[in-house]
Amino acid sequence: MTAKKLGPYQTLKAEGTYKIGADKPTIAFNRIGKRGVRRYDGYAKASGKALYTRDVLLPGMLYSKVLASPFAHAKILRLDTRQAEAYPGVRTVLRFDDPAIHGRELTGSIAGPTRMAPQSAGWAMLPVKTILGDEAIFEGQMVGVAVCADSEQIAAEALKRVKIEWEQRPILLDQEEALQPEAPILIPGADSNQIIDERELTTKGDVEQGFQEAEQIVEFTARRHAHLWAGAELPCVIANWSGDKLEMWVHEQQPYLSKLILSEQLNIPMNKIQTHSLYQGCSFGERCNPSNWHQNGINVLAVLLARKAGRPVKLVLNRAETFYGESGDVMASHFKVGAKQDGTITAVQMKSVFANYMCTTGVEHLIDNTRISHLRCEGITAHVNKPPAWWCRCEQLPNVFCQTLIFDHVADALGLDPTQVALRNDGCEGHDPSYLSEFKRRHGFPDRDSLRECIEAGRKAIGWEEKWHAPGTRRLPNGRMHGMAFTWSHDWDDTRGTGSAAVMIQNDGSVSIIAQHSDVGVNPWTAYMQIVADELGVPYEDIEINPFDLNVGFALMSPDGSCNLGSNGFVVKKAAQKAKQMLLDLASEKFDRPADALDVKESVVFEKARPENRMPLKEVVKMATPMLNAVGIWTEPPVLAWAWHTHGLWGQALETGRPRMCRQANFIEIEVDTETGEVFVTKVVNVNDVGQAISPETVEGQMYGGTYMGLGRALTEEMVWDPSTGVLLNRNLLDYKYATLLDYPEAECIYLETGLGHGPYGSTGIGENTATMIPGLLGPAVYNAIGQRVDDFPITPHKVLKALGKIKE
Amino acid sequence: MKEGSKATPLNLCPYCTAAFDTFEELKTHVVSVHKTEPLPKPAGWIALTVNGQVHELKVEPEWTLYQVIHDRLGLMGVKMFCDRGACGSCTVIMDGRPILACMSLAIECDGKHIQTAEGIAEAKHPLVESYIKHHTMQCGYCTPGFITTAKALLDRNPDPTVEEVMEALGGNLCRCGTYPQHPKAVLEAAQTLREEGSK
Repeated sequence: MTAKKLGPYQTLKAEGTYKIGADKPTIAFNRIGKRGVRRYDGYAKASGKALYTRDVLLPGMLYSKVLASPFAHAKILRLDTRQAEAYPGVRTVLRFDDPAIHGRELTGSIAGPTRMAPQSAGWAMLPVKTILGDEAIFEGQMVGVAVCADSEQIAAEALKRVKIEWEQRPILLDQEEALQPEAPILIPGADSNQIIDERELTTKGDVEQGFQEAEQIVEFTARRHAHLWAGAELPCVIANWSGDKLEMWVHEQQPYLSKLILSEQLNIPMNKIQTHSLYQGCSFGERCNPSNWHQNGINVLAVLLARKAGRPVKLVLNRAETFYGESGDVMASHFKVGAKQDGTITAVQMKSVFANYMCTTGVEHLIDNTRISHLRCEGITAHVNKPPAWWCRCEQLPNVFCQTLIFDHVADALGLDPTQVALRNDGCEGHDPSYLSEFKRRHGFPDRDSLRECIEAGRKAIGWEEKWHAPGTRRLPNGRMHGMAFTWSHDWDDTRGTGSAAVMIQNDGSVSIIAQHSDVGVNPWTAYMQIVADELGVPYEDIEINPFDLNVGFALMSPDGSCNLGSNGFVVKKAAQKAKQMLLDLASEKFDRPADALDVKESVVFEKARPENRMPLKEVVKMATPMLNAVGIWTEPPVLAWAWHTHGLWGQALETGRPRMCRQANFIEIEVDTETGEVFVTKVVNVNDVGQAISPETVEGQMYGGTYMGLGRALTEEMVWDPSTGVLLNRNLLDYKYATLLDYPEAECIYLETGLGHGPYGSTGIGENTATMIPGLLGPAVYNAIGQRVDDFPITPHKVLKALGKIKE
Repeated sequence: MKEGSKATPLNLCPYCTAAFDTFEELKTHVVSVHKTEPLPKPAGWIALTVNGQVHELKVEPEWTLYQVIHDRLGLMGVKMFCDRGACGSCTVIMDGRPILACMSLAIECDGKHIQTAEGIAEAKHPLVESYIKHHTMQCGYCTPGFITTAKALLDRNPDPTVEEVMEALGGNLCRCGTYPQHPKAVLEAAQTLREEGSK
């Protein structure tokens, strides 16, 4: 066998590298997949006792604030910090020209197969990559100076006393204007404002041939404007030095990676950095390190300030300052699609211009989902004077936006039911992309996907048969126009991630899962404990996890890419299986039976052939102890086993694509008030094939929870800049509007369990899909209601009235 | 008015220097003659009764109630989410009403009775268990604010309708979108409370 011919995931290099394939359970499910398992973090969160990084207060701690640029494009010509330094209570001032920070860039050297290449990271689009420089390229950028004082108020007062002479520069806010020949160049010395991206062109087949095969050609344009994470807990970090040792509290998805970057940037050995990651108040990609520009920036600043001040330093951004990013789907797109009268799509050509960063090109879901033969996708990215764009639950936003609109426009042009057009083009039942058909055969999956089941369940739940109608044809008794829409895609698990954990049986028979893990709210620990309970044969209630400390050595895969469970489920499963084997080996002596004659259930070890021959697990492990320094000659080893698992690599589980077998379908029903332009959502149905649910309530939580974020992005969430100054006008949660309890009805969430997932027990991830799928769906829904296209997102009443011809601008 | 006994220290009126044998007599005198609370606190001192415990502390005029409860008293369930007045995550119950601790100046809260999520949990209010049961939290950052708002609702309306629960919680933001679970959890807690009350 030659390794180089095979992809990394088809080579069984070690026990941790998993051959991605159909994972069949070898145990009976007692807790896995069952409702009513007590949520692990429930009491801590409901009682207010859960500790978040923002909550940490240390004795003698100082507070830091960083200057935010008031201009969208400007350079500091003169910086006078003397009054700030003299202000009572100010302990340290760090200027951009301080040797400790001067010229330091955010890049680090994180290239390589398992790390993110700098060009793909969240700062890639920044022409000026300094952590604290003298030049701002968007309003609100951290620039010039950071101060450190006895309180946040004093720090803020001190910043007001900094005197700055600015040189203002021309600004560009629109990505298409930025590419015009007469546009000013934003980066000194550059030829144009275009950001070089190797994904500029993706092709498959020959679109010209596809258009010739077509019986209809559909052309249209669409726009998507900026939104952002706006998570609950403000970005924050605490740094404290003791000699050459650094202690950090970080609010991050990926604290281990943050440690790596910090060590590369500041030459601090990783083993000198002690990192705590407490409960995390949301993330959605924002607190994903190194991806996010500000996250690593504030880490470095806090570390340098703490060193300079000789005291612990906390750096917390306020809400206005957290509007420092934007979603990576700010795009203006043109589509040309060829189709046959029966709904077969023969060719798709698209060209998009992105602002600051292209999350994904727009074509990838067509490649992974469909059997469309001819594709051509151009994606150009331009610098504008807006914040860095980045993944925003999730990077697939452009892909599903494009797929949803393409399918709806085609179905409409052909006068076909969109659910039929989906089934006609879905790559299922032997028509998958070639790599996937082969993959399924090799890895024990049936040659099918689950789109038909998803569509059938969703059609029934929303009443599609009875209610769906031609665009603009149904006025309701309340005077509003009724609209419906449907979209679909594959499952979401990124097929990537590496994690490690240990399972330890304590002397009293209780069980610990030992590993750091960041929780962003997806209830992962309950799921891990359910898996360990069933694999090990102990009650769920006897299992504990303490995931807040990175220094335990083991770290589970960070919660991103919807592949938390896909990786970590395997990790804890394997660790539990190994611990069980150790336990049975230990019991073997006590029972005087071979280990394979024994089993464990509800923390009782018993002989399989004679179940009455039994011993409590507690008695079996009584002498097995890690306390080797205890008095007495104990010869039994501790029951502690660890395992690791790698599940794919940055989205490429196979040489050519991802194993996509599970499908999903989303349906919506709305009413449009044609007098006010308001859109009222009356029903949402989400159908997801999750393969196998481990925690059903958690699956549903992601489905209904994501609906609110998706609807907000579709209708109300938008960052609004003043066109003449580039100043962001809605830096708060009153003017940046996301959903409240009163805005939308509860979504109906249906999950299917086909076992088609490549995760543990046939599961697949579900963290990001709904919030990503829903926004695009509102375009087709509004069109179905009023008979006019409003493919300009978010869809505000203003745009609806414009489409209806009721207002001009 | 009597001469002060040698065995006990003088209780002098701070307004007219009249002396009294006992502190109780002095208090009665101050209230009846000077028409004020028994003794004025030094400037900047306030007394807060938080979760049944009295705290006397000195505050700066610009400190918010959030700062005092979170940073000084160490009750971390009061959460800063939106920063100012938009999200309800710092909600505490003050004299029976849900208020935003981030928008209240601590110095104006002298003498107030305050409940936080920690106090509600310590008192074993059924809201906490029903919130856990219905997975009425994801990242959990906004959850204590929902709990306090819901508790204030149930205190004044033990048998709310779904609409009344939604109206009461309509000012609390949750980015994870746990919204559908809140009415279920609150109504179940109300039911439990009524059942406990009728026992």
